[in-house]
Amino acid sequence: MGTKLLSGYRRKELAWLYLFVAPPVLGFLLFGLVPILFSIYISFHKWDMLSDPQWMGLANYKELLADEKVFKSLYNTVYLMIGIPIGMVLSLLLAILMNRKFAGISFMRTIYYLPVISPIIAVSLLWQWILNQDYGLLNNFLWEVFGITGPNWLGKPEWVKPSLILIGLWSGIGGNMVLYLAGLQSISSTYYEAAEIDGAGAWHKLTRITIPLLTPIHFFVIVMGIIGAFQSFSQIYVLAVDGGPEYSGATVVYYIFQHAFEYFNMGYASAVAWVLGILIFIVTLIQFKLSNRWVYQD
Amino acid sequence: MKSKSKFAGMIMLLLMFALSACSGGGPNGAASSNNPDSSAPSNEAAAGTDKKEPVTIEFMGHGNPNEKKIFEKLIASFEEKYPHVTVKYTSVPPGEYSQKMTTLISSGKVPDVFYVGGPEFYRFAEAGTLLNIQSYLDQTTLFKPDNVWKQAMDRYRFDGSKVGAGDLYGLPKDVGPWAFVYNKDLFDQAGVAPPSAKAGEWTWDDMLEAAKKLTVDNNGDGKPEQYGVGAYSLESAVWANGGEYIDYDTGTVKVNEPAFYEAMQFVADLNLKHKVSPNQEAEQAMNAYTRFINGQLAMFAMGPWDQPAFWELPFNWDIAAWPASPNTGQTATWLGSMGFAVSAKSKHPQEAFDLAAFLSLDEQGQRENYQLGQAVPNLIDMAEGEFMEMDKGPQTRQVFLDIIQDYGRPDVIAFSKDTQWMDAFNQNASKVWNGDMSAKDFTAEIQPKMQELYDKGNK
Repeated sequence: MGTKLLSGYRRKELAWLYLFVAPPVLGFLLFGLVPILFSIYISFHKWDMLSDPQWMGLANYKELLADEKVFKSLYNTVYLMIGIPIGMVLSLLLAILMNRKFAGISFMRTIYYLPVISPIIAVSLLWQWILNQDYGLLNNFLWEVFGITGPNWLGKPEWVKPSLILIGLWSGIGGNMVLYLAGLQSISSTYYEAAEIDGAGAWHKLTRITIPLLTPIHFFVIVMGIIGAFQSFSQIYVLAVDGGPEYSGATVVYYIFQHAFEYFNMGYASAVAWVLGILIFIVTLIQFKLSNRWVYQD
Repeated sequence: MKSKSKFAGMIMLLLMFALSACSGGGPNGAASSNNPDSSAPSNEAAAGTDKKEPVTIEFMGHGNPNEKKIFEKLIASFEEKYPHVTVKYTSVPPGEYSQKMTTLISSGKVPDVFYVGGPEFYRFAEAGTLLNIQSYLDQTTLFKPDNVWKQAMDRYRFDGSKVGAGDLYGLPKDVGPWAFVYNKDLFDQAGVAPPSAKAGEWTWDDMLEAAKKLTVDNNGDGKPEQYGVGAYSLESAVWANGGEYIDYDTGTVKVNEPAFYEAMQFVADLNLKHKVSPNQEAEQAMNAYTRFINGQLAMFAMGPWDQPAFWELPFNWDIAAWPASPNTGQTATWLGSMGFAVSAKSKHPQEAFDLAAFLSLDEQGQRENYQLGQAVPNLIDMAEGEFMEMDKGPQTRQVFLDIIQDYGRPDVIAFSKDTQWMDAFNQNASKVWNGDMSAKDFTAEIQPKMQELYDKGNK
């Protein structure tokens, strides 16, 4: 349909449309697309941000294939994803608990949601105190109550990742709980009533009705959880100083940050960032492909 | 994908700043309006013309609120002396400084005067960011460069490829002799003779013996309430023992040599074997500092900037030479420094140099700085004169000067622009501090990696 066919009124309306749409579109072009293209360009260069970029061809990409730290940080990142299923089980249980009507329920829900809106840096600093080996709240508690000498949470390589998962659970459960809560409330009670007539107990109702009907939520939580895990940075930056002992806490994004803003290898950092971006894209794509096998659609 | 666009976004932002920055920094209406009347006759610095165009200089540094206050004062007295110059001072958190400076440089918005230190100085000088101030310094009659610690000035020399020789590209803000501090009261109570202030007289063995007596576990839970020594400097041990991290002339990483790993093992054993030192992670979390402040640590390390906090302590303390290695009889420690550099692109290089020189070398400023306990004066006559006679702790101030003159050494990374090789060492050293690996095995394992990283980033 050409503009000629449009009435004056329609044309005016269209002008307004473009006007209102312009800011975000321009914003995206300037601060989104152009930088994305620029980072592709710079990923083929050696650039310390001080002198002119030097053309390197695929050298950065070749280098990262042989860079054990890329794989170590990738391994760490994937390791942290252990927290996703644990978090799902806990937040579903929590949501079922919170899906009731009693006095003070909104207060309870708020409490569990609070970590989600707390700034991650502040939270990480608090956890740093909690997890301190000598003076930390957690180890003091373990000693006072159980007489156990707690581990060196952030100082020993084998404890860093569990500590990070623990913190991730604490701050992530509330958000997923709210999603599950919404899902639970959208399940019609007729299913449960019908099941009851057929003699189903609580366990069957949970496993045959609740969990299957929540599959769209499970799917969303997994996809977002994996993307979020791939991107985790702030808590690492605060809690795992220099990537933690033996680089055990460094994630890919932390590695990118280190190369970009500590070693000033902007080109190499861009190359790693692109590989990470493509990886996330592929993983998400696979998840969507697999989703029609198990996600329940109305 | 978000991560990627975030970084790229930052880069682009900078590029855009670069495009819009071409007009920045010049004298403009706003700047001249808050400039004091330039007809002041007492303008001794103007050395020539009486009337000068008003100029605005941007100065960026980092530091704690105390340091910021000192600099605000110094800048005010600079502006009084140079009435045609207005200084715009920005102080950023130390942790962000390096990133911020680099992004400002890459976007062309370089402050006229700014801090440089260690690897940054090397990188910036090599990229042509810093102004060669040699000719300015040679011409100045206001200051006597000969009266400044050579050890400090040399940090800011660059000959086109290497740091440490050639023309000056910066002036020292300060020198930071890393001294060995001890709690006098604890030594007295335990009846232990305190460490000597003279280098070489007190060895590792003496220290260990003292530390054992000063480590006290009152309630018998295996966790001492009071430790003998904390945050023992690995550099100090290695250098004292005749070891080196690297030979910068040949570019050979030398951590796998006995002089190095023996020293490293000695430091690790303070905790692992002798239990006279809190473990490394506890120290990283600043706990050794807290312990010392609380009077629960007998021996520790301090820089001149710690003085104001230490003046408040309820116990007596003093500084001594770092314990000497019994193998060599030598002692060594770390002498830090931060400097002022002038941007090569500054529109007002003379005024920018004047500011850097004033902050670095002005007598009044240096006096104020040391009286507030921030630093040892850069000016030799002042350091050897009134600074020594100060009535506040430490008593044996001579130790600070000894470190500067005799046995203080630049930080290991000061001569390399890319520091990944050192990071690789530090990131993995916990194996030794935790006792999972001997220093000998660890250094043998890490040396090839460090060498590879050094060659890649610095050759």
